Amino acid sequence: MSTVRVSAGRMPNAGAAALGVWYALVVVFLFAPIAVSIVYSFNLGTLGKQTALFTGWTTEWYANAWNNQSLRRTVQTSVVVSFWAALISVVIGTALGFALVRHPNARVRGALSGLTYFLLIVPETVTGVSLLLFYAVTGIRLSLWTLVAGITPLAISVTALIVRAGVLTLDRRLEEASADLGGSRLQTLRFVVLPHLAPAVAAGALMAYVFSFDNLVVSAFLTTPTVNTLPVYLYGSLQYGPSPAVYAAATIVFGFTIVLLAIAGLLYRVVRRRGAGASPSRPG
Amino acid sequence: MSAVLINDPAGDPRIAGRAFIGRAAQARLGDNLFAGIPALWLFVFFITPLAFTVVFSFGHSTFGGIALGFTFDNYRQALSGFYLTSFLRTIQFAVTGSALCILVAFPAAYFIARHAGRWRGVLLVVVLIPYFTSFLIRVMSWQILLQRRGPLEGILNFTHIYSGPLDLLDTQTAVFIGIVYAYLPIAIVPLYVVLARIPPALIEASRDLGASRWRTLVHLVLPLARPGIATAVLLTAVPMLGELVVPTLLGGDKGVLIGRAIASQYIQSENYALGSAMAVLVLIAVAVIVGALARLTRSFAEVSA
Repeated sequence: MSTVRVSAGRMPNAGAAALGVWYALVVVFLFAPIAVSIVYSFNLGTLGKQTALFTGWTTEWYANAWNNQSLRRTVQTSVVVSFWAALISVVIGTALGFALVRHPNARVRGALSGLTYFLLIVPETVTGVSLLLFYAVTGIRLSLWTLVAGITPLAISVTALIVRAGVLTLDRRLEEASADLGGSRLQTLRFVVLPHLAPAVAAGALMAYVFSFDNLVVSAFLTTPTVNTLPVYLYGSLQYGPSPAVYAAATIVFGFTIVLLAIAGLLYRVVRRRGAGASPSRPG
Repeated sequence: MSAVLINDPAGDPRIAGRAFIGRAAQARLGDNLFAGIPALWLFVFFITPLAFTVVFSFGHSTFGGIALGFTFDNYRQALSGFYLTSFLRTIQFAVTGSALCILVAFPAAYFIARHAGRWRGVLLVVVLIPYFTSFLIRVMSWQILLQRRGPLEGILNFTHIYSGPLDLLDTQTAVFIGIVYAYLPIAIVPLYVVLARIPPALIEASRDLGASRWRTLVHLVLPLARPGIATAVLLTAVPMLGELVVPTLLGGDKGVLIGRAIASQYIQSENYALGSAMAVLVLIAVAVIVGALARLTRSFAEVSA
């Protein structure tokens, strides 16, 4: 208790208040562009173009975005691509996240974690051009599937790290107990490991989906006139004075992302709480 | 405990032994599948393409194609004239951008870790939300914010902080605003993690012994925060080396960075060999940064923690 009093007396509120103001400014800085993109999606604009000057309120851009055929097609492509990318990433990322913690050979664990961090630090531009070159040289034609395969590595590393956190909270003795009771490896996986990891796997899947849906740089190199995703389309349209419909589409995507993130966040909390709940019961 | 007794290998060595071998083989197969499938997938769709880039960076560009070979010409070209300038500018850009990011992030992370009490979790999530929303949408909104007659100009003029038109878009300042903005959330997280781990008693002891707040910061907090700072540099400087979107959208045509130079070699010039050499140079720069940070924190385990 005395420490609390000392620190309260020592840290006169001025220091903490200054830091608090800084934090508030950071929050304003971070959310200002998001607020702007929402407000300007209702901007009348000038001659069908977005302008910095707010010329009046309208909701016509939402209707416009809805009726825009190419915009619709790119949204459809994005949904399909990120669905498959998330599905593949969650299967492979879960296996990787599990192996990162549980593989018996320390050298294999080291190599896998090296690979996972390597995935995170290679700049996306380099990955993108490498894939383009790879597909060009091997003669594989760019398609929906080459795009899906190209954006999975990043989503796999994200999923693997989330699942790894879940595995770390899983008491190893539960698996041993299951094995001791005669459970086969598959039964242990099915009835002990997966139920425990379910929230982490689901959170990983949602994050993989969000990351894949938002992917711009790798996608920019791998899209074709027939396989074009929403971020690539939006990026292209920005080069020549975007219409406010672009911001309307962006706002819809933003709302959608927030919902997915909220679900992923709730699931991640479940994982964390389980980890916190498990520790007091551990003896020693 | 009873499960262990029933299954005690001492009970029947033959049966227990056989069951043990069967289970061990099964476990080994399972473990190897779990490690092998991801490794194989990533080998095909990530490592191999990167290896192609390295190999072809020594090759020759043919008209619209590429031929294998061994020459340093591409590197010689990538390290001269315009390309060298943009490479050096990119390194300078990443170092400055990362430093600015950490300068802005540090006080915010310190506030969350030290003064937010039970609201820590909430305050941390609040700054993280933007990072997980569309990168492109957030950057393109800065185009509106920074434009002439845009909202920022309006606010600055209205509050008399600055008067007159604001010519920020398509300048280097705009690029730095955008880049700090884009990577700020992921700089805050590792800083928060290390700062939250410093026992408050240490800071109090330093102050009790008469150290000024500044001295406590420089001689106590900063050294203890070193792994977090290193991670923050890693997470911000490295992606900045390949940055493509922010400079293009906010910097206009001025000061082409290497990311864009690489992209244009692949897409416009179709000079794959030169583009590959430039990509390899970026990878080398990444490796140098990672190596320096690993040395700074003595072990890579600390950086990745």
